[in-house]
Amino acid sequence: MMSEIGFVDIEISAPFDTFADARGEKNARKFEVFGYSFLARKPG
Amino acid sequence: MDSESVVSAVALREEVKKKYRDVASHPDGEHHFHTGRPLARRLGYDMAQVDPMPDGAVESFAGVANPFALRRLAPGEKVVDAGSGAGFDCFVAAGQVGPEGRVIGVDMLREMLDKSRASASRMGLAQVEFREGILEEMPLPDGWADVVISNGVINLCVDKKRVFSEIWRVIRPGGRLQFADIANGRPVPESARGIIDLWTA
Repeated sequence: MMSEIGFVDIEISAPFDTFADARGEKNARKFEVFGYSFLARKPG
Repeated sequence: MDSESVVSAVALREEVKKKYRDVASHPDGEHHFHTGRPLARRLGYDMAQVDPMPDGAVESFAGVANPFALRRLAPGEKVVDAGSGAGFDCFVAAGQVGPEGRVIGVDMLREMLDKSRASASRMGLAQVEFREGILEEMPLPDGWADVVISNGVINLCVDKKRVFSEIWRVIRPGGRLQFADIANGRPVPESARGIIDLWTA
């Protein structure tokens, strides 16, 4: 979706285990939910 | 989840307001996610910058990753935080852009705006400002920002294409989007996508 809008040079970080040991960990594990950092540039 | 979801944007927005009002008022309450300084440490924030912050600036932080992990902001940059909550990422951004930079946080929750403005005042951060608004229509002119940051908020919006388009509008040509969010490795069944609790839990 980001590239469709026009962003370029898109980078994605390694996953963060955001919900480990949290109350929401069960649902996070069920759907393999992790946090990620994204970086992108608007050409110009 | 995408813009074709069965969840109504208005209903989801109201549920998100309810959930994050509670995070603003009761940061140490029983939430399904981590909050505050332990979360900042878990997500790799520079604790030398976080530790001196007053509790009110950190305790309601509920991000999902670190928008500064792939790029540190440059001194003097103009930054927008889309969905700024209680302002934690704005305060981190303010430290990176310095007094010559500017940081504008946009959030829809009055409770979060009140809290973030009080913290900015207490910390003496004149370069930080908070505005009321939603990500789909941010109260900012075209091309104002060198950088738009966000943390754990875009996933809470039904129409993500509209949000990314609005972010595109706000970023100047050559500017950057650096944000943090969650992604699921396994598809959420169609039958579960209409359960609004799963969007905020």
